[in-house]
Amino acid sequence: MNRLLHDGRPVRRPDVWLREADSENALCDPSSGAVHFLNPTALAIWNLCDGQTTAMEMIRAICELSGFDEEVVAEDVTRTLDTFERTGVITWKS
Amino acid sequence: MADDIRRIRIVLADEQSLFREAVRVVLESEPDLEIVGEARDGLRAVAEAERTTPDIVLLNADLPNCDGIRATRLIKEVSPESRVLVLSTDEDLVILADALEAGASGYLTKTCPLSELIDATRAIHRGETLVPARMLGPLLARLIHRRREQDEASKRLSRLTRREREVLGLLAEGISNEGIAQALVISPETARTHIQNVLGKLDVHSRLEAAAFARQNGLNDELELIR
Repeated sequence: MNRLLHDGRPVRRPDVWLREADSENALCDPSSGAVHFLNPTALAIWNLCDGQTTAMEMIRAICELSGFDEEVVAEDVTRTLDTFERTGVITWKS
Repeated sequence: MADDIRRIRIVLADEQSLFREAVRVVLESEPDLEIVGEARDGLRAVAEAERTTPDIVLLNADLPNCDGIRATRLIKEVSPESRVLVLSTDEDLVILADALEAGASGYLTKTCPLSELIDATRAIHRGETLVPARMLGPLLARLIHRRREQDEASKRLSRLTRREREVLGLLAEGISNEGIAQALVISPETARTHIQNVLGKLDVHSRLEAAAFARQNGLNDELELIR
């Protein structure tokens, strides 16, 4: 959450690739051989990890689209970004 | 038994009668769904929505007479409680964004199975917003881009003094330099100076561009308020 407040910009690790299919989407990390499955929202967040978009911008856009509370969306986005960070598929740009 | 259920009342709008017939048969085989009106063009869809005030309108994006986006906007005016699900022939980000902006609650392509249409109808009736999973990322990126543009526009507008905002409002109405001078009871030279300042602060190169900036960013109403 601190990163959100500090306007950090998550960025995808360039060697991690996305396998998109109708029924499932997965991130494949060649360095560890790990595969991470993404739900549609996580996939959308992954695509927004371009080093330009702040977490706060992601939260506001999802709120605008869904009409959900900012607090609820912030929790989801934070959790997703934390998972990406923990699994090492993103880094942060300030 | 089915009569005890509070059915979801649906208006179905599509130019093709075969498609309407097929969808009607499938939806009405569900105990909780009921078609209360049909339309083959946009204007009739609006009229049917006004007549029946349905829970859901299933609306083709590409309708004759009044396209699905305009029809969505009109339906939300005549029957605000109705929720609109726009159906499109393929995944089109512009149509999706325009539909949501017009007040639609969801978007589906006509390539989806009928079971998905049934699920989508129930989902938007529950109050959910429905966007195809593959289009979610690009749609969010578009919303973020638009918000950045709005923020940038607000930043530029905030550089203007009150007088310069008045000048911008008159520029946006296409009023000449002399007209602006008369309206604000200032000399033509002073009006010209204000106009130059407005163009410089907005970072635009002509009066036309300034007027377009005001319109594109929905500033006309705001400018109206300060006059």
